[in-house]
Amino acid sequence: MSSLATLLSPNLLSWKNDFLRRGEKKWLRRAVLLSLALGFWVGTYWTIKRVLVYFQTVHELGPALAYQLLLIILLTFFSMLLFSNLISALSTFFLAHDLDLVLSTPTSPPTFFYSRLITTTANSSWMALFFSLPVFAAYGSVFRGGALFYLWVILVLPLFVVIPAAIGTLVTHLLVYFLPARRIRDTLFFIGLFVFIILYFLFRFSRPERLVQPEAFGHFLEFLSAMETPSSLFLPSSWTAEIFASVLFQKPVELWFFYPLLVSYALFLPLMASWISAAVHLSGWSKAQESLQGRRQGHLLDDMLNWITHPFPEILKAIMVKDIKTFFRDTTQWSQLFLLLALMVVYLYNFKVLPLDRSPIPTATLRTVISFTNLGLAGFVLSAVAIRFAFPAVSLEGRAFWILQTTPIALRSLLWSKFLLNLIPLLFLGELLVFLSNTLLRVPAWMMTLSLITIFLMTFGITAIGVGVGALYPRFDHGNVAEIPTSFGGVVCMIFSIAFIGATVMIEAWPVYLLVMEGLNPGTAKAGGWVIVPSLAVVLALTTAAVIVPIKLGLNSLEGLKD
Amino acid sequence: MIRLENLSKHYGRLAAVDSLNLEVQRGEIFGFLGPNGAGKTTTIRVMMGILRATSGRVTLGGYDMEQEPEKAKAITGFIPDRPFIYEKLSGREFLKFVGSLHRVDAALLQRRIPELLEHFELSDWKDELVESYSHGMKQRLVLCASLIHQPKILIIDEPMVGIDPRGTRMLKDLFLSLAKKGTTLFLSTHSISIAEEICQRIGIIHKGKLIASGTMADLYRLAKVKEGRLESVFLELTRDGTP
Repeated sequence: MSSLATLLSPNLLSWKNDFLRRGEKKWLRRAVLLSLALGFWVGTYWTIKRVLVYFQTVHELGPALAYQLLLIILLTFFSMLLFSNLISALSTFFLAHDLDLVLSTPTSPPTFFYSRLITTTANSSWMALFFSLPVFAAYGSVFRGGALFYLWVILVLPLFVVIPAAIGTLVTHLLVYFLPARRIRDTLFFIGLFVFIILYFLFRFSRPERLVQPEAFGHFLEFLSAMETPSSLFLPSSWTAEIFASVLFQKPVELWFFYPLLVSYALFLPLMASWISAAVHLSGWSKAQESLQGRRQGHLLDDMLNWITHPFPEILKAIMVKDIKTFFRDTTQWSQLFLLLALMVVYLYNFKVLPLDRSPIPTATLRTVISFTNLGLAGFVLSAVAIRFAFPAVSLEGRAFWILQTTPIALRSLLWSKFLLNLIPLLFLGELLVFLSNTLLRVPAWMMTLSLITIFLMTFGITAIGVGVGALYPRFDHGNVAEIPTSFGGVVCMIFSIAFIGATVMIEAWPVYLLVMEGLNPGTAKAGGWVIVPSLAVVLALTTAAVIVPIKLGLNSLEGLKD
Repeated sequence: MIRLENLSKHYGRLAAVDSLNLEVQRGEIFGFLGPNGAGKTTTIRVMMGILRATSGRVTLGGYDMEQEPEKAKAITGFIPDRPFIYEKLSGREFLKFVGSLHRVDAALLQRRIPELLEHFELSDWKDELVESYSHGMKQRLVLCASLIHQPKILIIDEPMVGIDPRGTRMLKDLFLSLAKKGTTLFLSTHSISIAEEICQRIGIIHKGKLIASGTMADLYRLAKVKEGRLESVFLELTRDGTP
């Protein structure tokens, strides 16, 4: 037991030291992150509670609907936990930096296994647990579960998180035994992303908005009334749902069958995983240390990159070629393009299925108003993409940043190369989104022109904010690309981007309003195309500031690294 | 060629480097010795413009690192103690990238890259991604990169870490031949035997201060050591930080 505690102590001590480390910036970050988390917590609680209260108004079917929702939520948590445990187990058991040290000490295999299983479970589950609490609190509050329900939550949740952790660990061991670990991380990341995109498409194309249409509602109820039992009784999420349902909805459930079932799996699966680990861990870990092989001799790619980057000065060109090659060779980076594509398709699909004809407002006016709102939304999509790609651009230099620091280039060139490299695809994306959505909306020519110009300007600002704030809060020591956008700097970047988009839209709102009114009742607003000119000039000035200020701040921050 | 004048670098109240004065001539190999935490790496990082000095001046080839950093870096090659490089580039691509940053002519790069890879026995690995290189291979690749622009000054932080005996011999020969051709070498190392074997002058830094500097004979005199090797001098001088 004491050796298990010893093995866990570096993590615990690191957390403790990190938490207690003083520094105003650190506390400020914590305060911002805590407020965001609390906001999310309260928002989730409020939303789920409203949904559940609404369900209760549906005669006799309230508990059935709430039960179905609980099943879906638990199944979602279970799948998320399973996948995140797969990835986490790969790191903790096979790729962690301290493995050399730990495995060269006389630590017994079970002690090693359980210490890593606890670390894996904690790493993968704390966030899911944190965000599940408002859901359970909402259920407890609406269905008056009382202390008994919360007691069951405390008794069941640890078992609920241990099972996917043990399965994830077990599967990871088997995968590493048959495949090299470094490839598995890429593969798992790719599979995860692919599954997410498929689920996203399925959800969107099932058109859940139809559920609020009365003509579809009767059918929906019939469907749910036939669904008072869980879809799969072999899943721990269903057992958990059954236990909670017995307390919340007084569902006649064999409580003392499902709880022991959960307990037995939560005890047996880790034990089985430890046996498998004892048998295969060493050979798997040994494979994980073998390097990747593969020749890179793409002359065609080199020629293409040379052609694409030839208008730029030599230094910018060198940095851009290096960044493009790195991007396409790193699965965790390029596979995010699929996410982008999915986002675009669903975004445009939303415009296609908009029920404009049912609105009491004249369709032409509504189309223009939606198109204008769309500018803000497209800006928001662009800023989300910029957070994924432009914001991490400087941090991606990683520990190799010394190379740029010690070569005769100005850091300004580095930032501008990152800016240009991100600007070009973002411009393409922004213009395409706005052009296609406006075409689907069949907006008037003036609105199309205004939208294309505005999104053109907006993209410059959004890209510069991404690159500049990324340089302001660089994370050169990141372990994983995906963790860069979720850092404190990422939040700051998002806030600045939204403020910039909001300001741009507000500046153009008044002239657009005048032009819409003129279209609705010709002669009333006495506005021509000229009313848009002053606001475009202001937007241009704002964009110039949004480009120069963040880049300048980022540059100062990189220069400040010398201190 | 290299001049440090009253160079200081403070982290809060801690003086990592304290009023360092040093001069290294063209074609000279200068060994920079010191115990762990003495301030060697900090000095080198300030010399390369990675850290800003709290006070004092670094001049490389007549260029002030604070005033004309690009000119100073253009004539200098740097080899850090830990070879962090872009993992997703091949060895050849990495050298091309560094060469471009140093504005080396494309035609010259075409010739120079295979030469360097051949010299450092990396030709067979030139199209492999850096992530598949061993520590020693990465170190050799960084060496190639530091020489790609034929620098007049070479600043090296712990050159032999992770290098096998054959590689160590190769490096020593390389350093000697570079110095012979007029390159100035500033070599920070823990290895007393290397310093003893190839350095013309040696500086010893302790607690941020340069406590001794000169030829081997000067150091023996300073440490009042009559016999033994540089190790005895080093231990004597760094015992309490004062000669």
